[in-house]
Amino acid sequence: MSLLFPISVNFISICALLIGLFILFSNKRSSVNRTIFLVDFATFLWLYSYSIMYTTADYDRALSFMKIGFPGVIFIPVFFYHFVLAFLEIKSSVSRVLLYLFYGISALTTVFLYGSNYIASGLYTYHWGFYPKAGKFFPVFLIYFLTVFNFCISYLFFYYKTRKLQISQRRLLQVKYLFLAFFVTAFTLTDWLPWFGIKCLPLGYIFIFMYISITAYAIVRHQLMEIEVVIRRTVVFAGLLASVFTILVLPTLLLQEYIFRAASAGGRLLGLTLSGVIIILSLRRIENFLINITDKYLFQKKYDYRELLRTFTSEVLTVVNLDKLVNLTVDKLMYIVKIDSSAVLLLNEEKQQFDVVAFRNVKDPEVSLLRPDGIVTFLEQTHGYLLKKELADRKVYIPPSIQEIIDKLNAELIIPMVLHAEVKGILSLGKKKSDEDYTQDDLDILLPLARTLAIAISNAKLFDELGKTQAEAAQNEKMAVIGTLSAGINHEICNPLGIARGQCEAFLLNMKDGLYNNKSPKELLIKAKEIMTKVMKETDRATAITKKLSSFAKPAKGEAELVNIDKEIDDVLGLVGYELKLEKIEFEKQIEKGLPDIFVDKKQLQEVLFNLIRNAGQAIDEKGKITVTAKQDAGRVAIDIKDTGSGIPENKLKELFNPFFTTKEPGKGTGLGLFIVRQVVEKNGGRIHLKETKMGEGTTFTVEFPVTAGQKNRV
Amino acid sequence: MPKAKIVAIDDEAEFIDMIKSYFEPRGYDITVAVRGTKGIELVKEKKPDVVLMDLKMPGIDGDEVLSLLKSMDPSPQVIFVTAYDDGGKTKARLLKMGAYAYFDKPVASLRELEEAVNKAART
Repeated sequence: MSLLFPISVNFISICALLIGLFILFSNKRSSVNRTIFLVDFATFLWLYSYSIMYTTADYDRALSFMKIGFPGVIFIPVFFYHFVLAFLEIKSSVSRVLLYLFYGISALTTVFLYGSNYIASGLYTYHWGFYPKAGKFFPVFLIYFLTVFNFCISYLFFYYKTRKLQISQRRLLQVKYLFLAFFVTAFTLTDWLPWFGIKCLPLGYIFIFMYISITAYAIVRHQLMEIEVVIRRTVVFAGLLASVFTILVLPTLLLQEYIFRAASAGGRLLGLTLSGVIIILSLRRIENFLINITDKYLFQKKYDYRELLRTFTSEVLTVVNLDKLVNLTVDKLMYIVKIDSSAVLLLNEEKQQFDVVAFRNVKDPEVSLLRPDGIVTFLEQTHGYLLKKELADRKVYIPPSIQEIIDKLNAELIIPMVLHAEVKGILSLGKKKSDEDYTQDDLDILLPLARTLAIAISNAKLFDELGKTQAEAAQNEKMAVIGTLSAGINHEICNPLGIARGQCEAFLLNMKDGLYNNKSPKELLIKAKEIMTKVMKETDRATAITKKLSSFAKPAKGEAELVNIDKEIDDVLGLVGYELKLEKIEFEKQIEKGLPDIFVDKKQLQEVLFNLIRNAGQAIDEKGKITVTAKQDAGRVAIDIKDTGSGIPENKLKELFNPFFTTKEPGKGTGLGLFIVRQVVEKNGGRIHLKETKMGEGTTFTVEFPVTAGQKNRV
Repeated sequence: MPKAKIVAIDDEAEFIDMIKSYFEPRGYDITVAVRGTKGIELVKEKKPDVVLMDLKMPGIDGDEVLSLLKSMDPSPQVIFVTAYDDGGKTKARLLKMGAYAYFDKPVASLRELEEAVNKAART
């Protein structure tokens, strides 16, 4: 008989112990878990001792191992009975009395086992090894054994029959699993046959293993992580280890058997040494390999959680754009938790309702959860989660309106995003693609995650508002600036129109007053043509400035394009030029020949130039010069705006780019200018810095933009 | 009665051109300048009856020109034609300084301007 039989018995005994321990430690306080551990431990004791009994050649040794192991079998029924009482929460005095009675009988049987031959009268020798021989009272024990199990099955059956309609789906399922376990266990009855001299390989351990797995599954499922993962993990890990071990040992055996047979003892030694070396050399690697393999395929869930946390902390929670944040949240949840739908709902303070702001595979994204809605009230009051399956299990009545919302969201799990004891948003998760239920492990990760998300979302909201405020401020400032430019604007629009009108008026009055009477029709036509050309020129001038102005006043679109700096400087000058002229400020432009276009938002560049040139102008008290230089330097286009103004005092340099900082006299600036200029420059991939400033001599600012690849010189 | 002698000073050549195209055919002796300093020289040289002048000009302001002119020779009457508007403050100040009249740009009626020029020339 090969070693396969005792080794597999031994292996399963260890599995039983591990599963028992796992159940025990998963909830030490539960009497259900404690009693099922006792059953598993008894099973371990039995199978482990028997596996040694099967391998030993020594009768006495085998007998003593039988005596260590068999008490396990003796106590299995009472432990199981105890478990059933705990599981079904039966507390009747009769059942209690019976429990103590059974414990007494099992103990007494053990005493008999040790002190007499009544239970086991010796050992049979079968082809698989030693096996106990039934003593005189053994059948009595067998009857006791079956009776106790009969009690158990009756309790379960009675419970199922009478409480079927009251208990939750989960519990019903657990009972069903237990029935299945019993059914499987019935096969172990064949293990009793060899006690009576019938040569039947005791394969009951296989069914015992199935029974242990099923009970463990029934107990632990819905409470903790999926037990099948644990079982599979244990089985596959041990299985792989065993098979690798076999592969390693096999060549040694073959070597021994066929090649070194003649050499007998020496060859055997060589074979052993060889396999020993191989094992020592490769064990570490095999171990690592196995750990990797099992980790990869069986611990995937754990990995996912780690990935979930890693992804959220590094990629999602750091996002400050609200829209991006919520969409990433939904995507990553879908991808990592592997669910078929997901949505984020945020509180709309105005309407006092939660609206869907990001979603995937939601039936109706238009759904809104009003504050007084059942779900919201529940979440706000409990800060707990809402698990659809749990509601169904508990047979909680769900009003149709709430059912409708859950359906529309395609939600399986609804988690509040709580911040400062307030529900700021709601996370809706759909069914897992694996069809598995959400477990406590999931919730342990997802609930804190939702809370962290609440913080990130509130941050992003603040950022959004800040951005909006800044954009508004920039726009307001721009409008204010345009307002103060009214003189220039008046000049640039009204004057051309006034001139055009004057030309027409002069022509008409000259005609009326007969001043053209001595002119021939041809001369008159030439005169009219001359006037019309002038009129057209003036109206064109007015139109151009209007266009510039309206384009400047519009908020920027934020779209980059290739922009010619020279032209933009001219356009800006069209707006500020007259003001500068009035202030007796000379303006000079030095554009390097062949300067490449830059890839920026055109209007934002105008804003930047406008602000800097206007600032330069305001820095000049009386007469002076502004020089704008643009040249290419080390892959960048640098624009210098230099003035001969008053300069910036050294103690103000630090605050230069702060919002609301200004050196201008009240009414001349809100102070947002440079702050916004820098933001706009940076948004366009550029930078701005103060190149130099000297009190009484002037200031130079430099704005740089990259000349990106693929955009060559214009010339 | 001979037509008035005019010197027009404005930094905008187009405006001066327009003024010229009205006054010249009517027989006025009009000379023009686009810079305040050049204008002062013209006034010295031509001794006009009326000076038509913009207020805000690069190089030198209209009111500087006014005080200069008045200090040189008080006889030419100065008429301001300007787009500058600060709610009448400057207008009042200039009139007090001895300006004859103050016209808003754009000029609403060339006839009215002509009448003002004639009136100024007669004083």
